Amino acid sequence: MWTAIGNAFLGSAWPLAFLIYLVVGAVIARPRGAIGSRAMAVLGWPIELAQKLRGHGPLPYLFLLPNLLVFGIFTFAPLFINVGFSFTEGQSINFSDRPFAGTDNWQRLLAETQIDTGAANLEDDQFYRAVMDTSVFVVFQVPIMVLFSLITALVLNRDIVARGFWRSIFFYPVMLSPVVVGFLWTLILKRQGLMSLTLMEWGWIDEPIQWLVDPSWTMFWSIFVYTWAHLGFYMLILLAGLQAIPSDLYEAAEMDGASPWRVLRKITLPLLMPTLLVVTVLSLIKAFQAFEELYAMQVGWISIVAYIFETAGLRGQTTSHGLGVAATASLIIAGALAILSIVQITLSGRNAR
Amino acid sequence: MTKSNTLRLTCAVTAIMAAGAASADEISFLCFQNGNECDVLAGLITDFEAASGHTVAMEVVGYEIVRDQLENQLQTGAAPDVARVNNLGGLNQYYLDLTPYVDAAYMESAYGNTLPWYRAPGGEDQGIYGWPMELTVTGPYVNVTMFDDAGVEMPGDGATWDDWAAALAEVQSTLGLDAALAMDRTAHRWAGPAFSYGAAFFDDTGTPMLVDQGFRDFAETFVGWHTSGLMPADGWPAGTGTAYQNAAPLFLSGAVAMHMSGSWMISNYAENITDFEWRAVPAPCGPGGCGAMPGGAGIVAFSSTDVPEASAAFIAFLAAEENAARYAAETRSITAHAGLQAAGIDYGDTDPAVAQALSTFAGSIARAAETTPQAFTFQGYVKNFVIYGIVPDYITQVITGELSLDDALAAIDADVAAQIAE
Repeated sequence: MWTAIGNAFLGSAWPLAFLIYLVVGAVIARPRGAIGSRAMAVLGWPIELAQKLRGHGPLPYLFLLPNLLVFGIFTFAPLFINVGFSFTEGQSINFSDRPFAGTDNWQRLLAETQIDTGAANLEDDQFYRAVMDTSVFVVFQVPIMVLFSLITALVLNRDIVARGFWRSIFFYPVMLSPVVVGFLWTLILKRQGLMSLTLMEWGWIDEPIQWLVDPSWTMFWSIFVYTWAHLGFYMLILLAGLQAIPSDLYEAAEMDGASPWRVLRKITLPLLMPTLLVVTVLSLIKAFQAFEELYAMQVGWISIVAYIFETAGLRGQTTSHGLGVAATASLIIAGALAILSIVQITLSGRNAR
Repeated sequence: MTKSNTLRLTCAVTAIMAAGAASADEISFLCFQNGNECDVLAGLITDFEAASGHTVAMEVVGYEIVRDQLENQLQTGAAPDVARVNNLGGLNQYYLDLTPYVDAAYMESAYGNTLPWYRAPGGEDQGIYGWPMELTVTGPYVNVTMFDDAGVEMPGDGATWDDWAAALAEVQSTLGLDAALAMDRTAHRWAGPAFSYGAAFFDDTGTPMLVDQGFRDFAETFVGWHTSGLMPADGWPAGTGTAYQNAAPLFLSGAVAMHMSGSWMISNYAENITDFEWRAVPAPCGPGGCGAMPGGAGIVAFSSTDVPEASAAFIAFLAAEENAARYAAETRSITAHAGLQAAGIDYGDTDPAVAQALSTFAGSIARAAETTPQAFTFQGYVKNFVIYGIVPDYITQVITGELSLDDALAAIDADVAAQIAE
């Protein structure tokens, strides 16, 4: 153990630097009082000093700084880089090797004629197809998700036997990695998987079905598995919303002899509306971004994220302009999502008032 | 040992290591393996380190990492010094020319046939960019036990794809299999049979021109094999877009009687197939010849390296005849070394299937060079990886009934033209 500690500290300047930091702290803060507060004063002297010099005003921003940095590096920087990619062309990810292309990438993605070859463009068909397939997925998946998470939350909010157990059962898939979810369901749904074999045993089908690839089943199972995997998360948010509704309202309704259906419609749903709105917006955005589970299951349709992933050359087939075209596609989707969310929030906001 | 002694010893060792670093370089080496390639290289690295004093830090990763991330690493200057690659011409602009550091005459005499695959197109580039560590070639493997069980005779040397399809259909119906023939989902495996059917792939100027009568004939046959159930629903149709899919699991599990793959699978099959007899068979023929796609992997150094001499010395060490022979023997691969090809490698393997497979594949390369030279043009074409993905994308849509064959063929030509346009 001593060797390990020796290796860690030898040749490094920071133990000495830390000691100097503490000494400076002791001199500046001149700690008094109990041992705990003395230690805190010596450790936190830069904050004390900043407060002495500038008052309390700038302090919140200091605490926001780490989060802002992380957000800036991993969220805003990629956003700006993406915009840059969509207006430049070439195979490189260095802007120095990417000449300005104006609207060329927009034409490569959306125009009827391919501007490099002069022939009919195919990229727009692939993009529209991915958008249409993803839209079908979203249109069915989001209402189903909201409905089922609402039903589950309502049931699990009642005083049923082993309520904690049932809650954890429904929440458990959320804790699984998306790739594990994908592989798990692949085992069940592949051609020689559990589902086909069981149904054949029962005599319901004659030959095995490739559930994940068969054009008439692939969307159903995509929606089913995706809902299964994420239901628990939205259920949890709705449960919290349900528990925030004051119980005296229910008692009053009971005294007035209101039917359970009327209680649900007149008390529970209106008061749950803000939470339902959050759940709808979140699940809508998540459904548009659905990728990991679908990718791991190798479903028979291409989602919009899979399209962007593939066009960008992230599967090793880099093409001359793929990166720019993919960046353009992702900007269009981001714009559409932003508009959709704003519309939804505005509409629901008016209803709530 | 007391505490202070330990401390003194630690300091001393650190000092010695720091001093040693000045005269010997550390080479970072990115390796991927299909079978045991990196394990065998690890043995050779030990010898190199002893002989040269340099150290090699090898990182073994999945093939997808090299395929998907290496180029971006190269663009941002985060690349290793040396790497094992198989997109040989595609990464040309990043290679370090080894000519000043190695015995160029030896490299040319031993590897002259494959070194051009690493060069920039146009014929002016004469650089030496790496060690062509092995040749690969596509070709089918068959499950001999299934043919025996079904009492079907295997088509012999010079048999056509139609002969094989008929024999496989017989095996399939006799044994009640779901499917009989599986192929990895990429145009790299598809190209060999297409050459056999007469597809030229390139026009006279060397521009890809995929769709001709031969290409159409094979596309029609290939779709027909899926309609009739000869090829499995969980093969090509189970993939979407340009995604690659390995069909080896179907062959390993005994779901199909033939796997159209390539020589890189020998060592995997030798190790993992225990419950049936397997064999590699010569690339089937057709009106266009006996098509097979040659290829290979190599070890290259990148111009971004800080240790060019050491990297070049490492590659030159591996390229030496005795080390190339040891690599080929231990990985059971086809050597790219002309002298060793002529003399023959002593694989020293007791498994007759391995020796038979190696000589079958070597024969397929020779025959492809004679009858379908476009295979070598395709292998040397810088943007061939793009074509590998586009063909499965559209042919799959024909198989699943979303596109007509005519529309798909027109789309393949148009999409290839758009994706290779500068």
